[in-house]
Amino acid sequence: MHANLSLDRRALLRASTLLGAGAALPSGLLAHSLAPLRPDRRTKRVVLIAFAGGVRTRETFGTPANVPSLRQMADEGVLYTNVATSNLGHFGATMSIFTGISEPRGIRENARGNDPTLFEYLRKGLALPKQDVWVTTTGGAQQVNYSYSLHPEYGVKYGANILDGDGIFNKEFKDLLNDWGMPQPVEARERALLDRLRRGVGGGEDAAREAEQLARVEDYILGELSRGTTDISGAAAGDRKALRLARNLLSLFKPRMLGVVLQNADVAHGSFNAYSEVVRQNDAAIGELMTAIREDEELRDSTAVLVVPEFGRDRDLNSRRGLDHGDGSDDLRRVSCVAWGPDFKSGVESGRDQRVIDVVGTVCDVFGTEAPLAKGGRLQGLYA
Amino acid sequence: MRPPSTPPSPALLLQDGQDPRTRAAAARALDARSLRAVFMDLVGRPPRRAEAQEWLGRGRGELLDDLLGSEEFWAHWWHEQLYYFLLIDNFRPRTRAAKEVPTKLAEGRLHYRDALHQAALTPTFDLRNPGADTFVTVVMEQFCGVVVQDRASELEIGKVAYEGGKGRFLGTTAENQADVIRICVEHRDASRHFLAREHQRLLRRDLERKQLRKDAGRLHRDPWAYLALVREWLLSEAYDERLAALVPKSNSLFVRCLFVDLLDRLPEDDELEPMRNALDGLADSRPLRSVVVRLLLESGRAAVPAKAAIEDPTRWIGQQFPRFLGREATPEELRVFVTAFHEEGCEPSTILYALLSHSEYQSY
Repeated sequence: MHANLSLDRRALLRASTLLGAGAALPSGLLAHSLAPLRPDRRTKRVVLIAFAGGVRTRETFGTPANVPSLRQMADEGVLYTNVATSNLGHFGATMSIFTGISEPRGIRENARGNDPTLFEYLRKGLALPKQDVWVTTTGGAQQVNYSYSLHPEYGVKYGANILDGDGIFNKEFKDLLNDWGMPQPVEARERALLDRLRRGVGGGEDAAREAEQLARVEDYILGELSRGTTDISGAAAGDRKALRLARNLLSLFKPRMLGVVLQNADVAHGSFNAYSEVVRQNDAAIGELMTAIREDEELRDSTAVLVVPEFGRDRDLNSRRGLDHGDGSDDLRRVSCVAWGPDFKSGVESGRDQRVIDVVGTVCDVFGTEAPLAKGGRLQGLYA
Repeated sequence: MRPPSTPPSPALLLQDGQDPRTRAAAARALDARSLRAVFMDLVGRPPRRAEAQEWLGRGRGELLDDLLGSEEFWAHWWHEQLYYFLLIDNFRPRTRAAKEVPTKLAEGRLHYRDALHQAALTPTFDLRNPGADTFVTVVMEQFCGVVVQDRASELEIGKVAYEGGKGRFLGTTAENQADVIRICVEHRDASRHFLAREHQRLLRRDLERKQLRKDAGRLHRDPWAYLALVREWLLSEAYDERLAALVPKSNSLFVRCLFVDLLDRLPEDDELEPMRNALDGLADSRPLRSVVVRLLLESGRAAVPAKAAIEDPTRWIGQQFPRFLGREATPEELRVFVTAFHEEGCEPSTILYALLSHSEYQSY
């Protein structure tokens, strides 16, 4: 049985408290001890950061002072400097990173796609439990659609857990909870009673089992609300929350797959300076995530991290001294992708043609599975 | 195209057609579930207790006549449209004109197309969709249902017009941002796209293509026909089938239902928005919905009776099933709940929590 599934709620709450206090999580308390899914690889986990919102290479690897953390990752990993994107709007372009298919999607479309996502490929192909696949986001309602597709052979039963940092861990919601009275965790005795009642209303054992799994997420959220994520404010606050959550989830659950979707760089429409600050802040937050990985005995030699924007931005400033995304220039259509991990080459810069839709096939390959419906290839020259 | 200068009277709009199936559906008595569903679909909340007593057993057509076109109906409709455009939170239009939209719709001073036009003219719509490329793309996509990548030249013309240049955009001359909006709002495709998404919103299925073409043509000629079309839809066999199956509540609807069911009032904006945003932040919002249920139950603001005050637990529990789930409890459910109720540690709030956090309450 999967270790997470046998975890009792009190243990999770204890662990959450420890994490909140900054203490190291007792090894193995929550996370399960994993073997690599491919015997020829050391990678057990992948963190995929969609540095979305429209980020040009000029402000990242073209301005190394903005991105010391990404630069260090590139120095220790592989940097792809010629990665093609499609201008499908933020939602569609980011979706393409996860599906490996460039299909037009409405900019404000708020619906699931028909193409399976990376998370579905991994969960179905590797029989991963839901607790092993998480995504943190910052873009609100639209981005939860990355969890799973409507594809009849995949879909909700292979979906990822998605948490939108800014949507949940914000001052307004926390104030509301405090005003109404923060709910207390349900005691074991009442929990048993509730399980019995739930079994009594249709559903049977499945309903009770599902309720128990949902209760673990509920406890995690309540625990997270008492940590500092809610208090993050200022430039790129939403993105930094998503990265903070990713860091906490990685420490707490040590999932196989952790996606992070950023978005705040789109402030560039109105201000180049604000956009540059978002790039710097996000790099710093990525650096904190990397530090957490490097300092964790179990994670440091078993975790791969990939960072890729969904597209860049226009070549020239607009009339507001900002940067839109629609001129078709190479600044918009070509981005840089960095890949860092125990099985990857170190200190390599590649200018070969790649596409953002190659990421899905690459991650699946790292884990030893496939993305049969994705239309991208793989990042070439990656492995040491 | 110019719409009629004044709306036809609601009575004229909403009178029953000659189709005997429609007349039969209009006369069909409302049970607890269909009553809750019609309220939720049309005004975004379940009936309050007094309303449930008033409407239970009466005809569906009569209820439609009461709700359709009311200010509450339009307020809910407006809320749903703003959500469709993702004009929420900081982007929610807060101008007086925007706030008056539901009232003006109810009074017949605006029709639906005018209202959508106003949404696109709000400053927050502009802020939400910054820059020519994003703005023109969104207007084309959200109003006309266009796949912009297939109409790249129209997008480029629209962008030129947005910046003050002149061009032939979607068949009409445009030379500024306002023209781009107006052309999309009044485009024939916009009537079709609007009806298609409204049908999906209300009936949870696509409108059959031929019927869509016919209805869209009617709506395009006469935007005041919207209410009559909705009435026809809600008296159709398709709506009967939708009522026969449970469909998921949106997060917004879940919060509104919970407030009405537990507090007999709707949430204020500053209550609804943080809750909805938080729920929207999860691909599977059930764990947080459960937190919200407990939040209300434990707040002391919900009218939850003391255990000692419940003289007949079987009757009290039996009342909660139709109240929250729109159906009677089965004998077995009743047995399980009543047995649990008598156990030490089981409070009335435990019973309510079990029902309100159950998957059946997540749908309607």
